[in-house]
This record gives sequence, C-alpha cells and structure tokens, in this order.
Amino acid sequence: MLVKGVKKKNCWHVALVFALFLSLLAGAAGCGGKPEPALGAAVPAPATPPPGEVAEGKAAPREPLVIRLEGGDWGYCSPFTHYPRGPGIFKMQLIFDSLLERGEDGYIPWLAESWEVQNDGKTYLFNLRQGVKWHDSREMTADDVVFSINYYQEHPPVSIFFGDVLRDPEYLLEVTAVSKYQVRFVTAGPNATFLPAAGLARIIPKHIWEHVDNPQEYLEAEAVMGCGPYRLTGYSKEHGTYRFEAFEAYWGPKPRVDIIEFVPVSDNVLAFEKGEIDLTEVPADLLPRFQNNPEFAIKENPGFWGYRLIFNYERNKLFQNRELRQALAYAINRQELVEKIGRGAAIPGNPGILSRHHVWYNPSVPEYAYDPERARQILQQQRLAGLSFTLLVGQDREVRIGELLKEQLARAGIQIQVESVDMKSRDARIREGQYEIALVGHGGWGGDPDYLRTRFASGLSDWYSGTPGYHNSRVDELARRQILETDENKRRALIFQLQQELALDVPEIPLYNTTGYSVYRPAKYDGWMYMFDHHALSHSKLSYLDWK
Amino acid sequence: MEYLVTFLVILTMNFFLPRLMPGDPFVHLSGEAGEEIAAFTREQREYFTVYYGLDRPLREQYFRYLAGLMRGNLGFSYYYKNDVAAIILGRLPWTLLMVTAATFLSLLLGILLGSFSAWRRDSWQDKVTYLFMVVFSEIPAFLLGSMLLIVFAGGLGLFPLAGAMTHFASYTGWEKIEDVLHHAALPVLTLSLARTGGIYLLVRNTLTTVLGKDYMRTARAKGLREQRIRYRHALRNALLPLVTRVALQLGGMVGGAVLVENVFAYPGLGRLMREAVFVRDYPLLQGIFLVLAFGVLAANLLADLLYRTLDPRTREGETYGKQKAAKTEQKERSHVPA
Repeated sequence: MLVKGVKKKNCWHVALVFALFLSLLAGAAGCGGKPEPALGAAVPAPATPPPGEVAEGKAAPREPLVIRLEGGDWGYCSPFTHYPRGPGIFKMQLIFDSLLERGEDGYIPWLAESWEVQNDGKTYLFNLRQGVKWHDSREMTADDVVFSINYYQEHPPVSIFFGDVLRDPEYLLEVTAVSKYQVRFVTAGPNATFLPAAGLARIIPKHIWEHVDNPQEYLEAEAVMGCGPYRLTGYSKEHGTYRFEAFEAYWGPKPRVDIIEFVPVSDNVLAFEKGEIDLTEVPADLLPRFQNNPEFAIKENPGFWGYRLIFNYERNKLFQNRELRQALAYAINRQELVEKIGRGAAIPGNPGILSRHHVWYNPSVPEYAYDPERARQILQQQRLAGLSFTLLVGQDREVRIGELLKEQLARAGIQIQVESVDMKSRDARIREGQYEIALVGHGGWGGDPDYLRTRFASGLSDWYSGTPGYHNSRVDELARRQILETDENKRRALIFQLQQELALDVPEIPLYNTTGYSVYRPAKYDGWMYMFDHHALSHSKLSYLDWK
Repeated sequence: MEYLVTFLVILTMNFFLPRLMPGDPFVHLSGEAGEEIAAFTREQREYFTVYYGLDRPLREQYFRYLAGLMRGNLGFSYYYKNDVAAIILGRLPWTLLMVTAATFLSLLLGILLGSFSAWRRDSWQDKVTYLFMVVFSEIPAFLLGSMLLIVFAGGLGLFPLAGAMTHFASYTGWEKIEDVLHHAALPVLTLSLARTGGIYLLVRNTLTTVLGKDYMRTARAKGLREQRIRYRHALRNALLPLVTRVALQLGGMVGGAVLVENVFAYPGLGRLMREAVFVRDYPLLQGIFLVLAFGVLAANLLADLLYRTLDPRTREGETYGKQKAAKTEQKERSHVPA
C-alpha cells in the first residue's frame, strides 16, 4: 500500500529502484540455481539418492555408500592451492598419493612397495608399485616421482614435510629414475627425516604439470588429477562444498566409501543428530547425549594439538636460570587447566615436550607435580623475589588460560600481566621476539620428534621455529645424534634420552594437549581410524578404504 | 565529482589499512583449538613474499595496485588462491539476496508497526508494541539467529540447518528457486528482525511529529478521507528520514550479515571479510572493501534520487540553487539536503 501511494505520481524513480531490487533478488536466486562446477567432465553423474534413503542405505549391496561430513572452504584440492590453515591438506591427500602413507602405527609402504637404504644412509632406492593409474588412466611411473620432487624445488607446495631437507639442493643431491619402477635419491648424508620427507611428498602427474609454471594460479580440472583413491567431482568455494568419488581403477585397497560429500554445517552436533553428517567432534559437555546408546560409537582423539608456554631467553636473562624455569613448572597446575579450560577433554603436557600420546613418548621423565610452596622455596633459594612477567596470549580461550595461569603463579609469588592480541599479531610478535613469555597453540605434537631438535638445539636459533638464547650442550648432542641415526630403535632410545634431558631443563612448558571426542553411527559406517601421529578420524585416508 | 574524490580516498585507504595491521600473511604459527596448520618454512615464506611482490617498496605496490585496478584487475588472493574478482562475485549474489531481502522485510515490518503505533499513540496497543520492539531490537543478531535455528530448523525441522541451497541434488527451475528461498528464509528473517526495531522507532517518532503538524489539521479540515490523510499526507512526509537511514545503514547491514552468515553457515561477503582480515589477505581485503564502499556510495546516490522523488522541495531547492549560482557566478554547489 505504501508503494501504491507513492506510485500514483512521478513514480518512475521508485519503480526503477524496486525493479532493480527485484532483479537483484531474482539474479541471486538464479545464481544459486546454477549447477556447481562439474569437475572431471568425463564422470557420469551418479544418481545421488536423497539423504533420507542414504541414512538407511546399507541394506542393498549395490547401493553406493555416501558419507557426509562437515564442509567449509579449505581451498581447491591441488598441492599448491589448498589453504595452509585447516583440513584442506587432507582433502588434497585423498586425490594425491605418496610413496609412503601414514598408518595407525607408523609409515606404511604405499606407492613404493619397498625401499633400500644404501651407501651408509646416503642413498635411498624406492621400488615403485606397478600398474598404478592416474585418474586419466595413464600409468604412474618413476618419471612422475622424479618430476614431482624436482618440480617442488622450483615451486614449493603449500605443505611439505621436512621441506628443509627435501628442498635443500645441498642436501638432496640427485633424484633419478633407475628404471621405470625404481627411483634413487642421493643425499649428502644420513638424515632420519629424509624417509618421511621423500615418502610423504605428493606425487603429481608429469604430463600435466610439466606445462604449468604458475601452480598457485592453476585452477583447471587437471590440477586435481592424481593417482589417489578419490577424484574430486564437485567443489564450490563460496558454499564450501566438496564431492569426492571413488576412483574405480585405484591400485590399492578398495574404497569402502563410494562418495564423500562435504556440506555446509551450522551447528555440527545438531547436524549430526539430524543425520546430515555422519561423523562429528562433540564437546565434552555434550558427550552424555551419545553415551550408553548402541546407535553411537565414541572415540577419544589422541592429544596431538596443544598449548605451550615459551620463554624469551634473550629479552629476559632471568630465564637462563634453570631453577627459575623449574619453579614455574611447579607453580603451574596443568591438571586444573585440563579441567577448567579443556573441560576434561585434554591431557596435561609432558615436561619432556612430546605429547603423552606420541608413539615415542617417554613415560619415565621427571614430572613437576603442582606445588606452589616448592616453587616459592626455589625462588627464595635463588634470591628471586618480586618476580613479574608479561604473558602474551591470543584471544578467547587463550585469555582464560592466561588468567588462570596468572592466578596460579600468584600463589607462588610470581606476578603475571596478561596481554591479549589477535592471533596473527601474536604470531608476528613471536617471530620478531617481541615478548617475554608467550602462549602458543598448534597441532603436530604427534609428528616426527625431530621437532625437539629444530626447537631447542642451539645454532638453529630462529624466532620462527626455535628458541633463541637457549643453550644446553646435552640437548645439542642428543639432537644431533638422533637426526643422523637411521636405525629406528636406536633413534628411539636417543629421543627417550632427549625427553629426559628436556624435562629436567624445562626450556618451555607444555600446558596441555587437547583430546576431544569423535562420534559416529557404526551402523552407517565403521571404518574410521586414526593416523599414528594425527588426531582426526576423517583426515586419515585409510578411514575410507578397505584396510586392516 | 565528489563521489570520485571520495572513491579515490577510499581506494588509498583500502590499500594502506590492511598493511598497517600487525601480522604477516605468510606466518602461520598458531591455530585455533584443534586447527591444523601447515607452518611455512622460512624459505617458503621468502618465496611467497617475493612471488606476490611484497618485498617491493610500498609505493611501488600501491601504484601496481592502482594500475591493476585501471585494467579491471583486482588482484590474486594470497590465501584463497583465486582471482579476487572471482571470489567476490561468487559470494556477492548471496549477500545481495540476504541484505536486500532483509532491508525490504525490515522496512515493511518497521513501517507497518511504526505507523500502527503512531496512529494509536499512548493506547495500550502502542505501549505493548513499543515494549516488544525495544526488547527485540536489543537481542544480538547471532543470539536471535541461534534461537531461530534451534527452534525452527533443529526442533521443528521446518527449515534447513545450514547453507544456501541443497547440494549435490538435481533440482531444476522452480524447485531450485524454491530451495534457495527455503534456505534463505531463516537468515533473512534473523537479519530483518534485528533491523526492524530501529526502523520502527524512527517511523513511530517522525510520524508522531508529522501528525501534529498544521497541514494535517488543514487536510482534515478539507474533509479528506482518513486513508488519504494517513498515506498521502502523513506517511509520505514521515518516510523522508527513513530513506537516509536505510542508505546509511547498508554498511551496518553487511556487518550484521557477518554474524548471521556465521550462525547459518551461509555464504556471503561478511564471513569472507572476517576470514580475510584474519589471514591478512591484502588483495582480497582491498577487493571486499572496494565493493562495500561502492555499495554504500551507490546506496547514497540512490537515496539522493529517491529523496528528490519523495520530497519536491529538494528538487525546487536545487533548481533555485543552480540559478543563483549561475547568476552570481559563485562556486556554490547545489546540494541535496540530507
């Protein structure tokens, strides 16, 4: 009625505006109506059954099994275009295989059937599996492996395991195809991280990428053609959806899941309860909804994500005092952090740095049970009174951690000022060494323990990944020996000693590692499994394959 | 001309503001709880810094950016690995859909309820509506959205839980439009409700003022029908401030959309902007700010035009001003009073 009232006289302006609005509306609706970009043009569009049927769809043997998971845009799935943050890398890995794969207990042979270490650990000879097909049916051969490694020298992918080793021309001297199915890597000397570095690099098809010199901007359908168990058949950046279909000519274990779809999710627990997604992580407080119910299976994730406190040894020389660091370790109640901030879904940090769930965790390192009185005594002996530090934290949960630490340390007579900045600013300040004590949270605690070396060995002093100003010759010695040790058992013993030494010396304080719970419906699908060094079921390639 | 200068100033700010934020686009040290990050090696960081030209002097980067813009090139996103224009165009329709629909709906509701209240000023109906609207407009959009989501989508199952459309389904024609509208319903409703309160109050106040004016008495004395008095004489005059308000709050609308997009996992520019700030994706930030600035400027222009249609006085004032300027040869700019 308003429109009418105005329209009677001189209405063309208004009419124009409204027409514009309406056309925008229609335009938006029309845009939404467009089919999502279909990738892999040759793929026949499979008839996707409506969600309702799928939920019950295990009865008929020929019915394709569709698993739906929480989506979100994590980038286009080539090794150069997925995002550095978030699970994009694991989507990419569904498409691209590597020489080794991460199994439940360690690395397992994958595109490489076997390998030999020769010449005192300087040369690696990988024997490739035969008959491996790219998604366009061409055969994957040693040439592709050599090409991939060489290509990464010039164009670094988003994520590269031990890139320092694999991309260092002074270390990796030569990669050659000895035969169609054999690749030889010649290195400058033994290095324990070389096997995973070479083994986990994604193998990309030479016949596609040899013509590409701007991989960051290469967004064609061919960019996501690998030789892995899944092909990307749908991706929408703005909606954050992905669709993967099993590759019928896959060389390896048969995919049990025929189609994986990542769809937008507002509230993941609600979406899981409604059957819109088939696996989710559930906050500890909501766990009772799913316990004691045979419909659901619950798994506690390993604690490979965690928070640690780092000290700036160069800015405040007080931190050079080992007793002070030990006093701080006694003054921090890690169990309370686990309960109050982690809501019980966490494990206290290991003074020996590695997560308590790490395959090489040494359980016999000295522990620092919460004891503020003892902390006080140590500080008194050291004549350190009236200590006051600034603690740099991020936002939200980290502020709560900071406040709790402030309270705990006050009981030992140590004053803390909590300074909160946004995460990126905090990262930048750490990189520049602009902090006294800082809190950082990140994943990767289950990975190769060589991070003990890059973090604590002197001579690698880099604000970015190391601990400038920290020196411990025992640590240096053990760190150096373990990296040169290619015998797994011997290296493991060295890592155990290293943890022992670090626990005594307290170069930094791991606070806690989050665990969390994953819930799924076993009747729908029960193949979920973890990688030995990772905390999420949906990230493991083996979760979708007929493995075990 | 004014718009052009404004635009240039905005462009310059767009370029420098993101770069003034502390943080480095290629440093990923820490994550949010449970978030996986591929921390770049020092060497990788150097590679990307050079690759994207961030090692060059700021002045050079600035002129490159302007030169790119002249050619219609918004740049390439560091983080999202795509053309900025393509990323924005993918999301823009959804933001437009939500923002325009919500603007419409909140206007309609606000005007209806506002005039209802004004005509029954101080009656119990007015008081109840007033109380209800004031309380309602104070609820933050994300809370309102969560409530709607839990009740109507989670509990009653009337609406979809997330997203803007059903994915991997083979809908055609009307089915598709229906599907899109079905998905848009809750987000639009949330944003509308969050915005209705302000409009309601504005309409109620201005209408009350207008109703007390002399010309209203004249209209009544002329014996005009009540309908005509209300809509032609009262409401039309009361709507003037509303036009300005709607144009001005368009920027705020996108801000509100961020929250709603987050709650409903709805695609749109708001959420993208938040993420882009978070990862310090300079080209994308520049692009989004540019589009938003353009949108707000366009809305202001539109408001100016509408104003002339709705208020004959501004038109006369303008011609009058122009004549005067021509006569006295002074540099007096004709101006539409806002």
